[in-house]
Amino acid sequence: MGIEVKNLTKTFGEKKVLDNISFKVEDGEILALVGFSGSGKSTVLKLISNLVEKDEGEIITSEGDIAFVFQYSALFDSLTVYDNIAFALHERKDLKKNFTEKEISKIVKEKLELVGLKGIENLYPSELSGGMQKRVSFARAIVTEPEVILYDEPTAGLDPIASTLIEDYILRLRNETKATSIVVTHQMSTIKRTADKVIMLYDGKIVFRGTPDELENSDNEYTKQFINASLEGPMKILA
Amino acid sequence: MELYKQVLRQTVTYRLFTSILANVNDFSETLGNITICGIKTIKAIFKGEMSSKELIEQCERFGISSLPITLSIVGMTTVIIVSQIAQEMVKQGGGNMVGALVSILMVRELGVIMSGFAIISMIGSSLASEIATMRVTEQIDALRTLKVNPFGYLFAPRVLAGMIMMPPVVIISSFIGVLMGALTSNLVSGLSYRAFFDSLWLGIFAKDLFICIAKAFCFGGAIALISCSFGYHAKGGAKGVGIATTGAVVWSFVAIVIIDMIFAIGFFF
Repeated sequence: MGIEVKNLTKTFGEKKVLDNISFKVEDGEILALVGFSGSGKSTVLKLISNLVEKDEGEIITSEGDIAFVFQYSALFDSLTVYDNIAFALHERKDLKKNFTEKEISKIVKEKLELVGLKGIENLYPSELSGGMQKRVSFARAIVTEPEVILYDEPTAGLDPIASTLIEDYILRLRNETKATSIVVTHQMSTIKRTADKVIMLYDGKIVFRGTPDELENSDNEYTKQFINASLEGPMKILA
Repeated sequence: MELYKQVLRQTVTYRLFTSILANVNDFSETLGNITICGIKTIKAIFKGEMSSKELIEQCERFGISSLPITLSIVGMTTVIIVSQIAQEMVKQGGGNMVGALVSILMVRELGVIMSGFAIISMIGSSLASEIATMRVTEQIDALRTLKVNPFGYLFAPRVLAGMIMMPPVVIISSFIGVLMGALTSNLVSGLSYRAFFDSLWLGIFAKDLFICIAKAFCFGGAIALISCSFGYHAKGGAKGVGIATTGAVVWSFVAIVIIDMIFAIGFFF
């Protein structure tokens, strides 16, 4: 099933952030959603995950959980890494009766191993680096075996090597879980290394659809301005 | 017409009117937010979405962590008041009613109001800032994406803990207040402890104890609900956290005074 978005519109106050956009992500695909800051990328993720109500349009997703990996991780800072990852299994009524504490412990260890972080269960988020926090947030997001994973600027604020590690884990999670993913980013390395398809947003509309290679080699004025990081072009940036 | 509008907007009357309207709008919005949060919290409790582990933690926070400060404030307030009235009453020949007066003051008003103020300052402000920080760092959004109801996980344990723990806190602090009253009367006016305690029960009845506990129950729930609501609706980073905390404290103070007034009108008019 994947994700299908039809005629999606969202306005905040007087600003139309998304204007009648439609796209489809096939099962197991990774879509990169790109554009300048304020173009509505994160709003798309929040609409799909029901954090924000849509004004018009339709969103169809696979049955099952939709996981969200936040830009700044959003780990619960009063809980340990273990309790963060096990959170849904401890607190959700529909899940907590299905697992004993021993089973939960096994699941948490597996997820930590998947993201390359063994042995840190008893640490608190404040004791972790930015990259480690991001990986813990990946582990927390996939603990319920979601059908859809949404990543909001997963490599923002990370050094190039940590970014590469995160990009590898995005691919690894997709391969392990077969989840459909949308990655909001404006880093070319993330787009090239993780995405099967790319959509570019500007002024609430889709101005490009294609593959990462097509993004790089297109004659589209919007994509050329984006790739070259130029101030000249059809996209007007408020100084 | 445009010039007229521009001139009108500069007048004091217009500015005062729009300022009042804006305040009324803010007041209505805040009251609405608190009411909606209250309804969603009650729903979450009835749907069994509250964590009992969280409830126990919040009870410990409301009841045990806050006790030293609460007892200190109530004790010191009693010393301030009794040191002024005991001497006068003994001089006027009313020494045998000092205990009765202190017990009426303590049980009916001082114990519960001063405990409420102490809880607002210590617990209410910390609840608001904790939840506001969770809001501005997207932790509440994370709760929702993990399909955990924020009203069940955050609000319900805190509101219930407030309602459960406030009465025992008030009872203990009223008791300490009475003891401090006896000590103070003895020190400032030489009134014997026997004379003080002999008159203690002349002023209070079972109804007063019931009202004291009922008020404490309402205060605890109101403080927790208002503080959590302000935190939940915070926006805008560190400044937003500060605004939420201030709002929670101010509204909680006003709320407990209003609740106290309702009880006074209902039971003592």
